[in-house]
Amino acid sequence: MNRGEGSFEVTPLVAAAHELKAPLALVRQLALRLGDEHLSNAERQRLLHQTVLTTERALRLTSDLTKAARLDSALFQLEPINPDQLCRDVVGELQPLFKAYGRSVAVKGRRHPLLLVANRDLLRRILLGFSDNALHYSQPGTAVHLQIQAFKKSGVVRVGVRDFGPALSSDMWRTLQKKLDSAPQTIHARPESSGLGLYIASQFADAMNGRIGAVRHKDGATFYVELQASNQLSFL
Amino acid sequence: MTRVLLVEDDTWLAEVEASVINDAGYEVHIAPHAPAAIDLVDSFKPDVIVLDVLLAGSTAFALLNELQSYSDTGMVPVVFCTNIADQFDAKKLKEYGVMRVVDKTTMYPADLIAAIRSVE
Repeated sequence: MNRGEGSFEVTPLVAAAHELKAPLALVRQLALRLGDEHLSNAERQRLLHQTVLTTERALRLTSDLTKAARLDSALFQLEPINPDQLCRDVVGELQPLFKAYGRSVAVKGRRHPLLLVANRDLLRRILLGFSDNALHYSQPGTAVHLQIQAFKKSGVVRVGVRDFGPALSSDMWRTLQKKLDSAPQTIHARPESSGLGLYIASQFADAMNGRIGAVRHKDGATFYVELQASNQLSFL
Repeated sequence: MTRVLLVEDDTWLAEVEASVINDAGYEVHIAPHAPAAIDLVDSFKPDVIVLDVLLAGSTAFALLNELQSYSDTGMVPVVFCTNIADQFDAKKLKEYGVMRVVDKTTMYPADLIAAIRSVE
């Protein structure tokens, strides 16, 4: 594994271990800090809140891993879903975590409602994963946006999560694009990422006949999932 | 007072580590990524850099290469504080100015302070 310069071979098992290591290490440090008898009550409550939110993030990952491992044997109901409403549900779920990190998360809604064909649980998990990733890369005080776009010609609806963080270098971007084109496989989203989150997202998208992708901006990135628009669109 | 630059992209972990370093009597500034660290190296002029390896935007090695490019910044001792401590060869890291490696997954607050003291 050791190249001495930060290049690592990543298998899904190693990736899972790596991704869980960070929240576990953080929980441990928070717990050690809580042992300091000089802490004020407010500080103690803040650390406890951070501990709970960090364990919830880690548990989301373990739940996604289990779900991804059982994708082949599971039956998923695909149904017409209003992505705007689902995005609002995801935002409501993530609001406390973002607030605790001094960030905000919001839906950039569309004027005209639309429907897409998806499994509600899998799409929710993809958006939670992308948002979690965006939280990590966004700058303090910035907002993460969940955005919905329709492509009429191809009959596709794109649901994306836009962050405002450090730009990806051209080299990193080329690597990411190459890997995204050949997903599903373990792909590197950003340097410190094992790519496990995107790997899981690509599997979930594949199970719904969709695909994931990314757009680079000068001040961040958008990770998105594209799914078929519902025929019921015309009834709205 | 010894100045410590803490480069850590996890906001909460950075706060905890900064509190520990501060409690031990050091002046500490936090940089969440490599570009911010480079700015702080110029303005804060740290005596020691505590550096996470897997950072948002670019890895610690990009920062180390930048530091090593200049004679003054190349002299600042670096302590790696990382979740992947087991993947590094300490001897090779010395070429980059990394004098100590602390394993984030097993460290106690006193370990971090001991590592800083050993290189300052």
